Amino acid sequence: MKTVFEKSVKGRRGVQPSALDVERYDYESYRLREELVLPELSEPEVAAHYTALSKRTFGVDDGFYPLGSCTMKYNPKLHEEIAALPGFANAHPLARADKVQGCLAVIDTLSAYLAGITGMDGVTLQPCAGAHGEYTALLMVRAYHRSRGDEKRTKVLIPDSAHGTNPASAVMAGFEVVTLRSAPDGSVDLDDLKAKAGEDTAALMLTNPSTLGLFEKNVLEIAGIVHGAGALMYYDGANLNAIMGVVRPGDMGFDLVHLNLHKTFSAPHGGGGPGSGPVCCKAELTPFLPDPQIVRTEKGFRFGRGDWSVGRVSAFYGNFGVYVKALAYIVALGGKGLREAAETAVLNANYLREKISYFYPVGDRRCMHEFVLSMRRLRDETGVTAADVAKGLIDRGIHPPTMYFPLIVEDALMFEPTETASKEMLDAAADALKEIIALAYSDPDALRSAPHTTPVRRPDEAAAARNPVVKG
Amino acid sequence: MADYLSITDAERAEMMKLLGITKISELYSDLPRELRRKKFALSDGRSQQETYAALAELAAKNATYRSIFRGAGSYHHYIPSAVKSIVSREEFLTSYTPYQPEISQGLLQATFEFQTMMCELTGMDVATASHYSGATAAAEACVMCADRSRPVVTFDNIDPDTLETLGTYLKARGIELKVLHAGDGSAQYPSGTGAGAVYFESPNYYGILEDVNGLTSAAKAEGAKVIVGCNPLSLALFKSPGECGADVAVGDAQPFGMPMSFGGPYLGYMAARKEFIRKLPGRIVGETTDADGRRAFVLTLQTREQHIRREKATSNICSNQAHCALTAAVYLSLTGPQGLKEVATKCASNAHYLARELSHAGAKLFYEGEFFHEFVTVTPGKASKITAALERKDILGGLPLDKHRILWCCTEMNGKADMDEVVKTVKEAL
Repeated sequence: MKTVFEKSVKGRRGVQPSALDVERYDYESYRLREELVLPELSEPEVAAHYTALSKRTFGVDDGFYPLGSCTMKYNPKLHEEIAALPGFANAHPLARADKVQGCLAVIDTLSAYLAGITGMDGVTLQPCAGAHGEYTALLMVRAYHRSRGDEKRTKVLIPDSAHGTNPASAVMAGFEVVTLRSAPDGSVDLDDLKAKAGEDTAALMLTNPSTLGLFEKNVLEIAGIVHGAGALMYYDGANLNAIMGVVRPGDMGFDLVHLNLHKTFSAPHGGGGPGSGPVCCKAELTPFLPDPQIVRTEKGFRFGRGDWSVGRVSAFYGNFGVYVKALAYIVALGGKGLREAAETAVLNANYLREKISYFYPVGDRRCMHEFVLSMRRLRDETGVTAADVAKGLIDRGIHPPTMYFPLIVEDALMFEPTETASKEMLDAAADALKEIIALAYSDPDALRSAPHTTPVRRPDEAAAARNPVVKG
Repeated sequence: MADYLSITDAERAEMMKLLGITKISELYSDLPRELRRKKFALSDGRSQQETYAALAELAAKNATYRSIFRGAGSYHHYIPSAVKSIVSREEFLTSYTPYQPEISQGLLQATFEFQTMMCELTGMDVATASHYSGATAAAEACVMCADRSRPVVTFDNIDPDTLETLGTYLKARGIELKVLHAGDGSAQYPSGTGAGAVYFESPNYYGILEDVNGLTSAAKAEGAKVIVGCNPLSLALFKSPGECGADVAVGDAQPFGMPMSFGGPYLGYMAARKEFIRKLPGRIVGETTDADGRRAFVLTLQTREQHIRREKATSNICSNQAHCALTAAVYLSLTGPQGLKEVATKCASNAHYLARELSHAGAKLFYEGEFFHEFVTVTPGKASKITAALERKDILGGLPLDKHRILWCCTEMNGKADMDEVVKTVKEAL
């Protein structure tokens, strides 16, 4: 398909601004650019171009989307309408606090809900994505230890099953990463933890349920070891969808958590963002939350700053429009609805796992909201890889699961159906997978050359990286 | 209560039967007993209608203005209906990061086109897919360009949120940040700062156009990398940072179709010379060919990224502001070069008209430098009195910087009648 630049026709116009009604101001010519090349199209052509592009994109409403670790649940249409209300959409972030009490109430109310859901005391909504929340929380960890005169805690423990953002965030926050070995079931190897947690440990970053979709059974013992070493427990909220309203990270011994409003709380992923990655923490860490903080007074809400704050991590207050959607979600579901959503997510995952687990499951325990299969045996027996299976699913109208993650499982496929998937979707996915596995043995080339129903097939990523073409 | 679930009670029972359980709680049997016993309050939910009403009530607590003269990093521009309609298509709104290129060609191509537009505006070779905000784009660009032994140098006339964010990011990496005073509102680059990287903005926080060429060559002569922050709308008119010799351009593209929305989501952008291509933080889309020789787009240079490189990644970015980048691309496709220039010209013409009229009314310009669409007036002791008088007329006036100075902004949304009313109100308040 042609790019928007290739469709451009000189002199064609789309939306035109209204005319000037004051004298036109002309800058001195030395300041001015000579040429500006942007697409020149009519509005109907622009609408047609992007509609065509949208049809080459797979959204949550287009079919089953069991992308593990990403919580691709349905995004209610109601939330878009609410976020677009002029009272929110036209609110200026630097209006006087008494003129934006509704926005401040959104921030305060959502913060209180999130503190309740996680069992924490303090909240910042400023981080704009999950990884940004990790980074913010780790800055707080550092500030906390330093405030106690403890300068030697330079290391963060991270399991080898963790998301890549964990180690990347730790380095950005100025820490060294120490990798923890996982036990075969993906849980933390307690001996390795005991050996590595010490007086140079600042925190353990833990995802629970783990990236294998299993609840960390020993979480209380882990917290005991980490706290015993004088370090903090950090909860990566990527998998909160399994347990919200059921148990709280704060009760498991965690000191800080980040959440993903765009996963767990149903704000849309937008093709990769905007997200929102609030950080919730225990009372002893609240002095280190980023500036500004919302302060509730008798006369309403205002902004305040903390003497011990880690400072600002982005402009203004973060992705406010995303908070509105998450708040609408929590208000609509209530605590009971959140719990029911978590339970249904876990039920859906276990049901799908049960239907396909005869095929290369990892471990024999019931899963939480997601599970992992290994395509290692399939590859050995047929030459068909996890990626081939994924491409086969595309031809059957299903978005592939997450591939080759977690890294501790060979040829991993990670399925997260979410609670909004219907039983028909789960059954159809099980049938599709069954059909693909059979095909792997009968006609592996049909899968190795899949997908056959898409506008392109197996783009050459190596060539793209070797010789980058990054603009038209 | 709204729930968005599709499983009926009968189906639930059937599914549980397959699993051999009688209670959902059996699925949580891995949870330690003391955790499962812990009770906490769970509230009831509300219907969609009630939820709308509850949130609309909060929205109604915010003041709405018939005209707005405040910018300072958040700009009130016209957003064509076609922008809002196109980007609300669920395929764009609800999809994930395009890891599966075969079913993400639309999103990937739109991002590629966005990168192309940002390269064109900034005069650079490569642009990333997006960053959280102009502030974090600036901070990540400074981290990319810095070396640990030399400070990053900036000025006290940049956006204050960006300055604070820079401080946070650089401190965490152990990189010194030197903030130089810009005396008359414009930055001057003194020799001998020892900077590894220099960051300045044009237009700067006070709206003034810096001498991008002069600052860039002075900093580069001493071996520093140069990062320029720009409101990308101004680049419809002015020479680009690339043309002026800068290494990296960053900023916030919120003016391209995003509502003010109380400060976010906005669109941090970053564009750079090609020698930075393998050091850049964040997602990048590249063009390639597929197995049948057709043009295709993919996420590329992923070996820079956290999911491959973990602690050796150039950034921790995973989610970015992809939908905002799409919004900007649609906006720029609709305005085209001519429309964008007209919007920028209208902003600048309105600002120069208002500045002149305010000056006649007694609110003098505080700085002399040429400006784009923001400027600072000084009225000794009267700043909050002026903005309060405007509030009473449902006008959001400029941002009071202190007791005396106000930072004003005009966009294409302001008409002559609005501006004349501002001038009249200011005159009365003085």
